[in-house]
Amino acid sequence: MKGDVIKYQRDNIDTDVIIPGPYLKIHDYNELAKHAMEGLDKDFHSKVKEGDFILAGRNFGCGSSREHAPIALAYSGIKAVLALSFARIFYRNAVDGAFLLPIEIDENTYNNISDKDSLEIDTEKNEIKNLTKNQTYKMKPFSDLIGKIIAAGGLFNYKP
Amino acid sequence: MPKTLFEKIWDSRVVVEQKNGPTLLYVDRHLVHEVTSPQAFDGLRMNKRKVRRPDLTFATMDHNVPTSDRSLPIIDEISARQIQVLEKNCKEFDIQLFDINSPNQGIVHVIGPELGITLPGTTIVCGDSHTSTHGAFGALAFGIGTSDVEHVLATQCIWMEKPKTFEIKIEGKRKNNHAVTAKDIILSIIRHIGTAGGSGTVIEYSGKTISDLTMEQRMTICNMSIEGGARAGLIAPDEKTFAYLKGRKYIPKNYDELIDYWSENLKSDPGASFDKIFTLRVDKISPQVTWGTNPAMTTDVTSTVPFPEEYAKGNQDEEKAAIKALQYMDLKPGTQITDISIDRVFIGSCTNSRLEDLIEASKIVKGKKVSPKVRAMIVPGSQLVKKQAEELGLDKIFKEANFEWRESGCSMCLGMNPDILAAGERCASTSNRNFEGRQGAGGRTHLVSPVMAAAAALAGHFVDVRELDLN
Repeated sequence: MKGDVIKYQRDNIDTDVIIPGPYLKIHDYNELAKHAMEGLDKDFHSKVKEGDFILAGRNFGCGSSREHAPIALAYSGIKAVLALSFARIFYRNAVDGAFLLPIEIDENTYNNISDKDSLEIDTEKNEIKNLTKNQTYKMKPFSDLIGKIIAAGGLFNYKP
Repeated sequence: MPKTLFEKIWDSRVVVEQKNGPTLLYVDRHLVHEVTSPQAFDGLRMNKRKVRRPDLTFATMDHNVPTSDRSLPIIDEISARQIQVLEKNCKEFDIQLFDINSPNQGIVHVIGPELGITLPGTTIVCGDSHTSTHGAFGALAFGIGTSDVEHVLATQCIWMEKPKTFEIKIEGKRKNNHAVTAKDIILSIIRHIGTAGGSGTVIEYSGKTISDLTMEQRMTICNMSIEGGARAGLIAPDEKTFAYLKGRKYIPKNYDELIDYWSENLKSDPGASFDKIFTLRVDKISPQVTWGTNPAMTTDVTSTVPFPEEYAKGNQDEEKAAIKALQYMDLKPGTQITDISIDRVFIGSCTNSRLEDLIEASKIVKGKKVSPKVRAMIVPGSQLVKKQAEELGLDKIFKEANFEWRESGCSMCLGMNPDILAAGERCASTSNRNFEGRQGAGGRTHLVSPVMAAAAALAGHFVDVRELDLN
């Protein structure tokens, strides 16, 4: 999986800024995607490309249980969010619906990756290659359950 | 081996357990609302699945419903459609729905306990993060997303990884129970543990202060567990719990027999060990006011807006976050909290919209007027709360003071219906999240208790309610 990074150097990016409340009425996912990250970054929609990754700090996706949050990001083209940590419901939503990969990284990796860096992520080796800086980092492996749900392509295909 | 309350409920609901793997957990009650359910029902239809236990599934519409006159049509067409879709889905799948005209309509976390759907020792899920509220009854209650909603509709079960346990002991005696409320206790806790302090855990709140709280106050505490990052909040049920639920509409027929079982079993055993422990002493806590853009950015009403470096204590990311928060909030460090002027007041939400909240607020308001520069609204949590409040004449007290007295729903807590802040407006709100844009794009939210919100409405700025006569 290859893509470019959109970096937000902040903790606690909540679901209200990822997709503000008024848009939760929208049923069309492509329409929803037009408002992704609107509460934090008005330019997100114009700069995001298919295959991009978001990089952020701690507790990404805190707040509401709205699955609209990973959906809006996924339909904007985001394939993975790399963060120091995630809020639980966002994390499960991302995986259960097979919308995007929530990848936990360490402090060092977070500091080394810059905005617009090109990355290659290998979830089998749990490795992140920074193609721009020619560096390699480790990602935190998925737990048993999460790994299996991801491998199955979402909660409904998961067989224990 | 001694077990915690969480472990007892969890163990009693395990369907499939694997060594070092996830657990399939049975769900006793599933609460459904209009915003996180449409795609789940679509999924069922697409795969020709039925709802496994319609009798254990209850629905209402709360997030986007207008709180204005219910006899009028809904102007926002998209909201109207989302509401119709829920009606259609509940009819097709044979689910009990408390619709917009039902006397039982209300915020899902207000009506669950009110109707006796919430019971001790049960597992409850809902496509809403504040499902943690139901933990006040000793129920293990999780907020889930739409994929999980679909999974529970289809199977009445949920795949979970076993959370860790976190005991928060609340000790001591508050000097003024009317002025320093359950809201101030939970805001103090989040201020100390941080927005991710409870990550991966189920919090059990214990201690003398907790047993002294009423059920509605306990709900306020458990409600905001999610704001501390926890998966759920729990309080062991006691006589108050059993008395609160007795006679409610949906309690089981053998309720009295269950009480014996619950009293004996639903508590953490002496010597049970928790993965994490935190103790809060409440003797000296003051009414709390948030100054920033997450609920941990909280301070005492007697204090000042902090300087970012002082708040961050050397953590650069925290310092940057505080600088951004102060910019968004348009506040200068060093400003006295009581000098902050407000434009709007919102008393409502699943955190603080129950009868006791309204009674306490009314004591402050009685015989006084809202500041002419403030627009203030009361949004009761449910139609039942509204009716009970009206029977006590609270509506008159509020209306005479120029508060708007509205219909029940989530309203300005999340800004999905027409009740929103305009950009730049500053609000004293009894809700649970002060995130950027939460109550309307550019709106500025200060989280406070109902009495603090009521007092701010009258004065036009924050006031230390301990200085007022609240008895």
